[in-house]
Amino acid sequence: PAMAHPVVISAPQWQLTGKVVSQGSGLPGVTVVLKGSTQGTTTTADGSFTLSVPETAGTLVFSFIGYTTQEKAFSGPETFTITLAEDTKKLEEVVVVGYGTQKRADVTGAIASFDASKLQERPITRVDQALVGQLAGVQVRQTTGAPGRGFSVQVRGSGSITANNEPLYVVDGFPLEAAAQNAAGRFGTGSPLDNINPNDIENIEVLKDAAAAAIYGSRAANGVVLITTKRGKSGKPKLTFNTYAGVSQAVRHLDMLSAEEWVDRATEMINAAWVASGTGRTASQTTAQRQAILGVNTINPNLMLDERWAQPGHPGLTYIDWQKEAFKNGFTQDYQLAASGANDFVNYYVSGDYLSQGGIMIGLGYKRYSARANVEVKANDKFKFGLNISPSYSVAKDPGIEGKDNLMHNIVSFTPVQEAAAGLDANTGNFTSYAWSLSRNSPIRVLQNTTGDTKTFRTLGTLYGDYQLLPGLAFRTTLNIDNTDGNTKSYMPAFVSGSVGNRQASGSYNGYRRQTFVNENTLTYNKIFAEKHDFSALAGYSYNNSKIDAQRISSTGGFVNQAVTTLNGAVNISGTANNFTTETRNVLLSYFGRVQYSYNSKYLLSTSIRRDGSSRFGDNTKWGIFPSASVGWRVSQESFMEDITPLSDLKLRGSWGRSGNNGIGDYSSIATLGIYNYTFGGATAAGQAPNRVNNPDLKWEKSQTFDVGFDFGLLKNRLTGSFDYYTKTSKDLLLNVPVVYASGFATQLTNIGEVRNNGWEVELTSHNFTGDFQWNTSINLSHNANKVVHLGPTDAPIEVASAFDIPNNILQVGQPIYSIYVVKQIGILSQADIDNKVALYGPQTVGDPKYQDANGDGKIDAKDRQIVGHPNPNYIWGVTNTFKFKGFDLSVLVQGQQGGSIYSLFGRAVDRTGQGYTDNALGFYRDRWRSPDDPGAGKRGKAFSGFGRIKNTDWLYSSDYYRVRNITLGYDLGLILNNRIAQGARIYVTAENWFGHDKYLGGLNPEAVNTDGGDASFPIGVDYGGLPLTKTLTLGLNLTF
Amino acid sequence: CLIGLAGCEKDLNQAPISSGSTPTFYATQADFEQALNATYSMLRVSDNGGFPDRQLNLSETRSDNIYGVGDAGVRDWEPVNNFQTTLATNPYIAEAWDSNFSGIFRANTLLDQLAANGSVVDDATRKRFEGEAKFLRALYYFDLVRYFGKVPIVDHALVPSEVGKIQRSPVADVYKLILSDLQTAIDNLPVSYTGTNVGRATSGAAKGMMALVYLTRSGPTYGIEGPGLASNEYAQALKLLNEIIASGKYSFLPKYSDIFSYTNENNAEVLFDVQYILGGVGLGATYPGLLVPDTYFTFLKIPYPSGGLEIRPIANDLLNSYPAGDVRKTFNFAEGFTSTTGFKETRWLMKKYLNENLKGSNRSDWPINWIVLRYTDILMMKAECILHGAGGTQAEVDAIVNQVRARAGLAGTVSNVTLPQLMEERRREFAGEGSRWHDLVREGLVLNVINAWIPKEDTRNRMSRNIDANQIIYPVPQTELTSSGGLYQQNPGY
Repeated sequence: PAMAHPVVISAPQWQLTGKVVSQGSGLPGVTVVLKGSTQGTTTTADGSFTLSVPETAGTLVFSFIGYTTQEKAFSGPETFTITLAEDTKKLEEVVVVGYGTQKRADVTGAIASFDASKLQERPITRVDQALVGQLAGVQVRQTTGAPGRGFSVQVRGSGSITANNEPLYVVDGFPLEAAAQNAAGRFGTGSPLDNINPNDIENIEVLKDAAAAAIYGSRAANGVVLITTKRGKSGKPKLTFNTYAGVSQAVRHLDMLSAEEWVDRATEMINAAWVASGTGRTASQTTAQRQAILGVNTINPNLMLDERWAQPGHPGLTYIDWQKEAFKNGFTQDYQLAASGANDFVNYYVSGDYLSQGGIMIGLGYKRYSARANVEVKANDKFKFGLNISPSYSVAKDPGIEGKDNLMHNIVSFTPVQEAAAGLDANTGNFTSYAWSLSRNSPIRVLQNTTGDTKTFRTLGTLYGDYQLLPGLAFRTTLNIDNTDGNTKSYMPAFVSGSVGNRQASGSYNGYRRQTFVNENTLTYNKIFAEKHDFSALAGYSYNNSKIDAQRISSTGGFVNQAVTTLNGAVNISGTANNFTTETRNVLLSYFGRVQYSYNSKYLLSTSIRRDGSSRFGDNTKWGIFPSASVGWRVSQESFMEDITPLSDLKLRGSWGRSGNNGIGDYSSIATLGIYNYTFGGATAAGQAPNRVNNPDLKWEKSQTFDVGFDFGLLKNRLTGSFDYYTKTSKDLLLNVPVVYASGFATQLTNIGEVRNNGWEVELTSHNFTGDFQWNTSINLSHNANKVVHLGPTDAPIEVASAFDIPNNILQVGQPIYSIYVVKQIGILSQADIDNKVALYGPQTVGDPKYQDANGDGKIDAKDRQIVGHPNPNYIWGVTNTFKFKGFDLSVLVQGQQGGSIYSLFGRAVDRTGQGYTDNALGFYRDRWRSPDDPGAGKRGKAFSGFGRIKNTDWLYSSDYYRVRNITLGYDLGLILNNRIAQGARIYVTAENWFGHDKYLGGLNPEAVNTDGGDASFPIGVDYGGLPLTKTLTLGLNLTF
Repeated sequence: CLIGLAGCEKDLNQAPISSGSTPTFYATQADFEQALNATYSMLRVSDNGGFPDRQLNLSETRSDNIYGVGDAGVRDWEPVNNFQTTLATNPYIAEAWDSNFSGIFRANTLLDQLAANGSVVDDATRKRFEGEAKFLRALYYFDLVRYFGKVPIVDHALVPSEVGKIQRSPVADVYKLILSDLQTAIDNLPVSYTGTNVGRATSGAAKGMMALVYLTRSGPTYGIEGPGLASNEYAQALKLLNEIIASGKYSFLPKYSDIFSYTNENNAEVLFDVQYILGGVGLGATYPGLLVPDTYFTFLKIPYPSGGLEIRPIANDLLNSYPAGDVRKTFNFAEGFTSTTGFKETRWLMKKYLNENLKGSNRSDWPINWIVLRYTDILMMKAECILHGAGGTQAEVDAIVNQVRARAGLAGTVSNVTLPQLMEERRREFAGEGSRWHDLVREGLVLNVINAWIPKEDTRNRMSRNIDANQIIYPVPQTELTSSGGLYQQNPGY
């Protein structure tokens, strides 16, 4: 009976016709099947259908995802009008949980779901991008503006201080090797989401509490993200074509001093330096007079002005807005073709996708080619097996834009005045630097001529088999492999580096191969006893082996010529610091089990346990156990609730669980030896010495979560929602506890310390209007606060070393992680202040910033630092409104955060006390202190200042923002197109990031991370010149055949 | 290892693939030699360049040889140069503390392992390894005492929690360890090496260091817990210096520039040096470019930045100290330059160790050794001891100074050389070698000389006036104070 009977043309047939509607308009894509057969069709764009059936009375079944299935009997050729009701209850909706699925109604853990079917309705280039603002308690930060790069994802705040904070990603049951975003904002050996085509994704679930996630044991403490890719659906084979094209540009430029304003500031500073350089020297003296006084006939730009500045039209000079020259419009396009279908033997989904994403700055770009085949074969009634395979290749171009001393930094701080003869060629080729300019090379020419290509070839594959041993008892085994080869070629030609006469090309090649192999074997048993006792159990074993091979080669001494940019053309290659291969490997063995029980879908119980053994753990602590338990009570199923009609659904949940974080590095427990060579008599003398302290007790970080919550539906589920309150306590944190350096080490890696995250999450979905005009609103809002509970052995505060000057972050018991710890600026020093002997930092004078003497010892120094903020927001939220009317659909996503702070080390480049005049400075130096009569805005002191610098609140900004991430307006072309062209057609236009507001005046993106501002013990990602976000206008088309 | 569970568990024991680890180390003589080489490498390796860079940053820049006030911004060395009291958070100060203690840890680990597993090393070599490790430990501790005064004594490889219980010891106790280590070195080390062992510590180097330690201990206390103990050990020093001179292993090179020549390394002047080689293999030096700006490298057609960021000019006072025709002035310093952008730098720069014709592939690839102790210093220390009444004659002193002056190309001789004159001659002779600050401290001259020099030199009015004895040593790094949890007290004045 499995195959469709061949239809005999001559046989007499009844023509059944009709239209399926919902809320007044035709519903396309509805499956119409003759009950008891495989004969069927789907409705066209306007909801109509035609089906020929044998002349026998029967029943038609109308089904469509998200709608209640309807049956209609017939006894002759008839015309129907069927109204399908939206299945707002979703009670039978199935949720993917670890190692299986579960009815949503029976879920007792905290799980956030994202229906990815909407992904293809808007232009999305990465999976992490799709999650922004969608899920309560899931913070997705776009830390970079370079296309193709991974975002940072955090579930319920930071549980760890130094180990990984990114969740575990599981794609179709395959747990991918977790990767932490490093402090420079990069996934060094690839993000688990790299190259994954979002169009292939069916849905995404985020397991937030330990009860849901603990089945993943030592990798679950940061939450687990389950990604399910598309399968074929029974019915007619479906062919879809999606495409979009758009133009993007920078959301904003950084407000720097204009060339005229820079001249004004440089004049002030150089004159002040001149006056201070000796007696009898005045600002009004001309360059010639200054030369005469000094007895020289050359220009000293530190003491003399360029007299052309003051001349009308500044002859011979050109004024350049470097940002304007560097930013450009990017052009993005994407094409995807997918075919899917299913019958009783085979289920398939096959897709191919091409994406080309243009950057908003010269030199940036991203291309991705990806394909996927998900095929499942049912060999017989008991055995099915399948293969999911997805090869992909991408090329990301980035000449090195973000981060300290990289191009974004240079573009904003580069001197806006240059010799007209050189212009954009300043200090490249045969042009020297302008005497009053930074001596760097023109960032425009560097952007245009530098190669930085990262090529990633990745294959994700899963081969699996399912065997039904007994009714209800199934065995499943999977073999999974994730192989990623990534390599980066960098090359900078000679003419844009160094200085005239000393220009030298440089190049490097580095890459990695990451291989994860996972074998998982599970037994599952499902049985309903006496119609009321729904019981299921799972037992499993898994083996996980992950390897990374890395390599790097760099040129030294330049290149032989400019024609060859690969390293065979380098003059030389030497030094193991820049040239090496390294390998690491880790193995994880696991046993796990779960029991779920539901009584009459009313009382719910679930418990799980996992035992993980990891090569990463110390010799004394190889194995860890991670249990969890949760309960639920569907109050609305109780008979006493039947009278309370407005309340259509109510479930109370409570859970407890323990999970771990094994993101502690592959060999951290072992005292490794560093290579410290020396030289004697002109020859290399090999040397080795311990570079860290042995710790055989080193283990996973332990995280314990309590979660209580409820899910509800009101007014026949017109309004649904959920609420969760949780406390997540992370213990045995892996801390590089500072120790006295007299021991030979700055820190010792120890499982010590405790952090608590408290928070609540609300998700609400409301169907405000139904009918012809539909309006739905989804809101998510979450609050999270973290607090350090314990630190090292004495709970002593840890000042987190900074890569730049003194520490500006502190770990202190009772305070949030990485609290910002700096001196407070409280105004500008006046003569009265000096006379009153207010506390000063070194040789400060009138017009310099005034700092708060927090410890009251009469002077300003590092001891006056105080906690002034914390980096994590208190609240994150997202609101999606969707509207439908006739063929139109409109959706608007607004998203934001409140309550965090940014300490921007980018300030060191564009906003520091005592900064030289050559660097350009932030726009608010317009309103600096100039004289007692012209004190400016009171925020920035005088430009010519020699007292030095101390970390203070001048670089502190609120990280609050809101942003209209996405506005999409679509129109169903099916209403005007002939059905023969396509079954479904939709055209849409999307505006991304067009509106919004943030308070980060000292940088371009409040979430930017691109430079390690900490040290090896406590890496802290900071912004030191990140790209702005991209605003995009896109036109797209979805076609279904 | 798929479904068979038992076989998989051994996979949980993974040793690092790309680095060694301690459980398998210290098993052969070669392992011990590598551990020793790593102890030497701490002279060279650190974030800021190791021993030579430290001498330039903390001794030369601190002294009246350099007027290191920044032009275009505020640089990390300025508070050192300017005698600011905010130095506890300065990176150069932390480097001095951290690098020396790292070196001590490596020496301690090696010495402990030698005691426990040293039987794999033949007896003669084991004795030498012990001597070299103790020489290095003494050198690291001596550096600490001179810069910080009291420091904790750690003479075994202890875990951090145990080290965290050790108080800062009185200077006299630290010196006891230094002297005892140097004595072992003198007893155990050969007088010289050949081939690829040249550059290892010798008994002569240990004697010279010990003489310098005695001289330093003999300096005044200034009423602080500093390097001086007023111990009057000039006679002990003189005895050692005379032994070195009598050994005939060293000689006074006839030409000043030959001492520092790239092509004449390990010459007869050298008692001990930090060794560097060329080749982009990470074994080159940074210090040659430390005191000069990037633009000077450009001027010299060196295709990478100096790393010095900007000029730390030579003090006028030092320049004026050289009589006309002194070859040391023009060898050690360059009189400004004109940058490729047309900017004329008129101040003098340190070019003593720069030979652009033999440059390496980057700014950390200079192949020139840094001489820690040279024969001229042995002779002049001898003169110093004599002038302190340790024996010998004024004629010997005059002869030494005249020998030095003659090599500098100065006509005529001097007689009845006094201590201040000797020290000024040392200043000219050892300019750029990082000894000036230590010399001033040792001879009790530091407060008078520096307080007279600052108002004269500091035309830009950026330096502190009237420094006091507290500023003879540096503060304990702030991070170390914090890590000690109150066990260490900050030095007075900071």
